[in-house]
Order: sequence, then C-alpha cells, then structure tokens
Amino acid sequence: MMKKLMTVMAAGAAVILMQAAGASSAMAQENASTLEQVKQRGYLSCVIGNSFPGFYSLNKDGEWQGMDIDMCRGVAAAVFGDATKVKFMPVQWAQSFTTIKSGEGDMMSKGMTWTLSRDSSQGVDFLETYFYDGQGFMVRKDLGVKSVKDLKGATVCVLTGTSSELNLADYSRTHGLDLKTVVFDDSAVRNTAFFNDNCDALTNDKSGLAAQRSAAPNPADYVVLPETISKEALSFAVKQNDSEWANVVKWTFEAMVAAEEYGITSANVDDMRANSQSPVVRRILGVEGDLNVGLGLSKDWAYNIIKSVGNYGEIYERNVGPNSVLGLEREGTLNALWENGGMMYAKSFR
Amino acid sequence: MNSDAQLKRFVPSPARKPKDSEMTVLRWIRSRCFNSVGNSILTLLVLGLVFYVLDYALNWAVFDAVWHASNRRECMDISPGGACWAGVIDWFNGLMYGRYPIEEQWRVNLGVVLAVAWLLPLSCRSLAHRSLMLVSWIALYPFLGAWLFLGGGFGAETGPFHAILTSLAAGFMAMCYVNWLLAMLKRPSLTDIIYPLVARFVARQTHIFSLLLVWLVFSGVAGGLLSQVALAPVAIERWGGLFLTLIIASFAITMSIPIGVLLALGRRSKLPVIHWLCLLIIELVRAVPLITVLFMAVTLLPIFLPSDMELNKLSQVLCAVCLFAGAYMAENIRGGLQAIPRGQYEAAQTLGLGYWMTMLLIILPQALRLMIPNIMTSFISILKDTTLVSIIGLFDIMLMARNIANDKNWIGLHTEPLAMISILFFVMCYGMSQYSINLEKRLKVDR
Repeated sequence: MMKKLMTVMAAGAAVILMQAAGASSAMAQENASTLEQVKQRGYLSCVIGNSFPGFYSLNKDGEWQGMDIDMCRGVAAAVFGDATKVKFMPVQWAQSFTTIKSGEGDMMSKGMTWTLSRDSSQGVDFLETYFYDGQGFMVRKDLGVKSVKDLKGATVCVLTGTSSELNLADYSRTHGLDLKTVVFDDSAVRNTAFFNDNCDALTNDKSGLAAQRSAAPNPADYVVLPETISKEALSFAVKQNDSEWANVVKWTFEAMVAAEEYGITSANVDDMRANSQSPVVRRILGVEGDLNVGLGLSKDWAYNIIKSVGNYGEIYERNVGPNSVLGLEREGTLNALWENGGMMYAKSFR
Repeated sequence: MNSDAQLKRFVPSPARKPKDSEMTVLRWIRSRCFNSVGNSILTLLVLGLVFYVLDYALNWAVFDAVWHASNRRECMDISPGGACWAGVIDWFNGLMYGRYPIEEQWRVNLGVVLAVAWLLPLSCRSLAHRSLMLVSWIALYPFLGAWLFLGGGFGAETGPFHAILTSLAAGFMAMCYVNWLLAMLKRPSLTDIIYPLVARFVARQTHIFSLLLVWLVFSGVAGGLLSQVALAPVAIERWGGLFLTLIIASFAITMSIPIGVLLALGRRSKLPVIHWLCLLIIELVRAVPLITVLFMAVTLLPIFLPSDMELNKLSQVLCAVCLFAGAYMAENIRGGLQAIPRGQYEAAQTLGLGYWMTMLLIILPQALRLMIPNIMTSFISILKDTTLVSIIGLFDIMLMARNIANDKNWIGLHTEPLAMISILFFVMCYGMSQYSINLEKRLKVDR
C-alpha cells in the first residue's frame, strides 16, 4: 500500500511539473512589452488591495466594485474593447511592489500614495494621480472642536505602522499640540474604540474617515475637521522602464478626464461619435486622426473606455461621490476639474 | 454437608432506599452548593456572573437582534444595541462559496455530496476492498472534484491525463456503488461474477485482474458520458468561503497522515541520509510559523519563477499547508511508534516479515490507534489554521467575513460575521472531537 501511495504521489508531482513546464514554454517571452504580454494573455491583471470601501470592495455576489476597479476596467476596455477582460489580484501591502516587479501584475491601482522613495527605489513607475487625498481628523460633534488646533493634549486613535502615524507625530510636534496617540493594528478595533469614546479623535485619510463616519452608530454625531495634514496622491503604478505600457495606462486616464471636460458621457458617447462636429471630440473618439497608432491600440480605444466605465466624473459619482457610501463632495476639492479649481487637467489630445 | 452449604450461601440484604429528604433537588443543591458560608458566596457569585453574561449575550444575539433589513443603517434604526444578522444572512452565499458564480454553485454542493457519498459504502462491513475505497478517495476523488469545481470542457483545459483520472475516479465510484447494491441484495459482487471468465485467460492474481477489468469498463463508460458534459469554467480566484476553507483543510488533513508516516519512519530510520533529511525537514518546518511559510510562498516564489509563469496561489498554499501539517503529524506518529514494545518488532521479524510489511501490518496499526487523540487534535488545529490563508489574500471564510464590513450596504459590520464563524468552527471542531471519541470506543484503544 505504501508503495502504491508513493507511486500515486510521484505521478501527481510529475503532472504538476509537466503542467508548469507547459505553461512556461507557452508564454515564454521574457522581454516583450507588457502591452504585448497582456494582449497575448487575453486579460489584464490588475493589482488591488483586500478591501477599501469606495475604491475596491466586494459586493455580496463576489463582484469587485469601486474607483480603482473602474480604472482597471477602463484600461481593459482600451486594450481589448471589453471591460470584463481583467483579473483582479488582491494583495497584501508587503506584496504590492513585488507583484508588479515580477510581472505577475500588469498595473497597480490600489490607492497607493505616490512618494519619492516608492517611485525611486521600488522598481515601479508612478503615473497619473486619479485621486487627491490627505490625512484628516474626525471628532465627536459635542466636543465643539472647530479645528485641529483646538485638540491640544487630546488622545488620537491611529493605525500603527502607517504613514498616518508618522504624519500625526510630525504635525503634533510642529504645532506644539502634544497629541497622545492610541495605536491599533486593526482598523475595525480602532473604529470601535473611537465610537466607544476611548479617544477624542480618529485620524486617517479623509476618504477613509468618510467611510468610518458612515459606519458610526449615528453619523450626524461626528464631524470631519477641515484641516488636511498630509499629501496623499493616489496614483497608478506600472513596472519600471516600460513606456509603451505606461502610455496606455496614462492615456486611459487622460481620456476619462478629457471626456468629462468635453461633456462626453457613457450615455451620450454613441451620439457624440455619430454627430459631434468638434474636432477634439472626433479625435478622442477615433472618428478622425490616428492618435491610436502610437499607443498600439485600436481606433475606438477611448470610445470603448467611455462606453463601458464612463468619464472621470461618472466614476467619481458612482464610487465616492455624495450619493455613494463615502459621500465625498467634489466641488472645491483637488479632485474637481481644473475649470472648477481642481487638479484634474487632461493633456492635449493632438 | 448440606447444612454447611446453606450456611455459606450469601444472601444479599435489599438495598436501603435513600431517605426522602436526600432525594429532593433542594437537598442535592444544598449539599453541594451551599454546604458552607464560603461555598454559598461562591455559588451566588458564579450565578450572578452567568446571569450577567447570558443576559447580555442573549439580548444582543437573539432578543434585540435584527434578522431582516436591507442595510446596516436600517439595522441600527430598528435596534441599535442588537446584532445585525441581516448582513450575515444577506452575505450567506458569499460566506459559503466565496466568489463562486451563483448559477454554478450547485457544482460545489454536488462535489461535497459526492465526496461524502464516496465514503458511504465503507459503512457496509461485508463489502470487499474497503481499504481500497479509502485509498481511492484520497488518490482519485481530488481529480473528479477538481474537474467539477474548475469546469471547462472535459480534458480540454486541464489536459488528457486529468480527464483519464477523472473518468477512473467516476468509474471507481460507480463500481463501488454497484457492488454495494449487490452486497445488500446478498448477490456476488461484479468481480466475483466475471472471475471465472478472467480465470480462463489469466492464471495468476486473477482476482486483481478481474477487479481492474470491471473498473476499466466502468471508467470507459463514465469517461464517455462525462465527455458529453460541458461545464462553464470557473477560475480558482473565484473559489472562496467555507468551500475553500474545507478544500484546504481536507487536503491538508488527508495528506498529513501519509507525509507524517513517511517522515516519522524516516526519522527513526537507521540510514543516516534519510534520518538526517527527515529530521531537518521536521525541525525546520516546525520551527517557523505557518504565516511566514505562507508569505514566503506567495511573495518570494514569483521573483524566482519566470515572469509569465503563473503558479496559482492555491497550489502554493496547499503545498505549504501540507508540509506543515505533515511535520507536526510526524512527531505525533513517532510518539506512537515509540510506545510499541520491542517485542512486537521482534515477533514480526520472527514471522519473516520485511520492513514495510512489519510497519504496515504490525506496527503502524497499533501506533496510529494509540495516537488517535493526538492525531485528532492535530486535525482540529489544521482546520483552524487554514483561516490564516486569508492574510495572503485567498478569499476563505475569514476574508469574506471581513469583506462584509467594507460592503457599501453593511459598512462597519464586523462583529456579527466573526460571531457566526466562531459558532460554525465550534460545531465543526466539536463534531470532529466527538467522532474521535467514538472512534476510540469502537477501536477500544484503552484495552
């Protein structure tokens, strides 16, 4: 019996090895551009995190939804004309960069803040910023606090090992606030502690604060203070030194913003393509010009993006806007279009 | 003589009935709980504590709980202090099947039913080749299960080898059922029916040949039928929930015994290479936390492998968990081996048995039986350890539960799913421990 068992196990190991060898020989093209690899593989593999409301989270049917998810779907639409040809890879923080470096993931869209050290020493290139966030504070309304400056000597709940903790220490020192930190390593526990009044304030990125506020027993009891104490530019990242692929990801996002600037939405895109006389719109939608050639995409790449996921404004509204779970106002923030005083500025489609 | 016998006869006096006062419940309570001032105070304290905890727990979990709501806000409006089970109910499918497509979930159910059904004929003690059935379950069922869960054309995506093994698995199961039916009807089994026919052509080991023949015929028919079935492919990334937890746990549990036996025998071997190799594996694996091994498997492997070679996370995790469970099991089994008296080995040698025969027929059955409580403890801890895979991003039941708290409808709901999982794991683990006690009784370990 033991011999039989060993034979069976040996056979099993042989099968696994054979399949592995087959897989590697089938797609052994080490130096091809990511764009070529993606096209050949037939789907985009997009690196996200485990769960973050509004940006990437599962619904009960097991479908991903959120802003980062729509961005990846947009890239898939640009490459394949089909927004469903994307595989999401939820990875832990520690794995994010190795997954991109090893080529396992084609692009990262997981609410990653663009910082100098990450850009210069992690083997990735950061591209466009699709969401400007920043660290803020939430307090109970009945404290009567109007500004972070009033929080002198207060206790603050914060996640340990995050940049939020470091920013908090910096801010407290610069402004002589003498803030006392209460650290947690699990966000659920931190939130419970805050809602049970174990600390005076909760600090996190403002988008996260919005999510936590909406989970409060009574959201109206809590306010998010106006100050933003850090810069968090959430950006895409791809493997270093692959401009061809970087262009595809970069211009997918530019197309989303440009579409909003020129009033193209997922609802009117067909009409615009057929009837618009504006030369810019016609160029974006591939009716005239050959902007697609340099990107290595089909003529209707931007049309496919807008048709399947919509323009930037639609994506924002759907996932993080006032009617979503996060309820983030867009007017007056950095995420508004440049015409409205924000930072969203599409480069020229020419 | 006669009178002597009468004198020596023992006549038991009738048992004295207890006094009425000793039989009442009150008396019982008083003599055990309130027999001194100190004990009375302790009893009252404990009662108070139990009441306090139960009152709080029951109010939260049952009386104030909300069972029907469309989102968490609604739950809070209905009953702020109670559990919001509506979210868990809403996500029930997700917790059970992970991201498995809803319209394909019947395949998971069918797979679980088949896995149990495969083992059902074991309950019929008159059936021949019962140990073969267990071995076949370990060796063949995974192929049938993999085809059922992964889907795709028969043999189109997973290769012809896999298709053949799947047919063999299906054929074996069908054969077992026919034999079981025949045994219940008190008829000779299929093997016995064709035995005379085979005996005409094959002189030696006729029984095995006739068994193989029946099996192959059944497998051929099964393969022919299965190749007509096309299942929608479901990628491994979509597996999850309790389904994935059970796959990992049952794989680790079934593989841990053979790996453990081999490692334990190797460690006791007199050949230095085998001895030191097994010792190294056991000590190395036991010295590192499971979570480290999992992280290494997932973060370091992709760097070493060619960039476009994709080894799916599940197989990495299965390898890691099996090795881990095997190393722990090896030490359990070694304990059992050491408890076997030397006389048993010598007796086996006297009978002329070789090493493997001695181990298989004499030593291991005794050693494994002695170690049932320890082995079952290992099984239970393997089952619970599988929840660690959520940390490396496999959507097992733990990660699905954490995702509920980030769903826009149920944002912040994390206590209730965890409570539900605790109950579920308690039921599974308690069931396993009860089964082990049952097994001990049946095998009369404490003779």
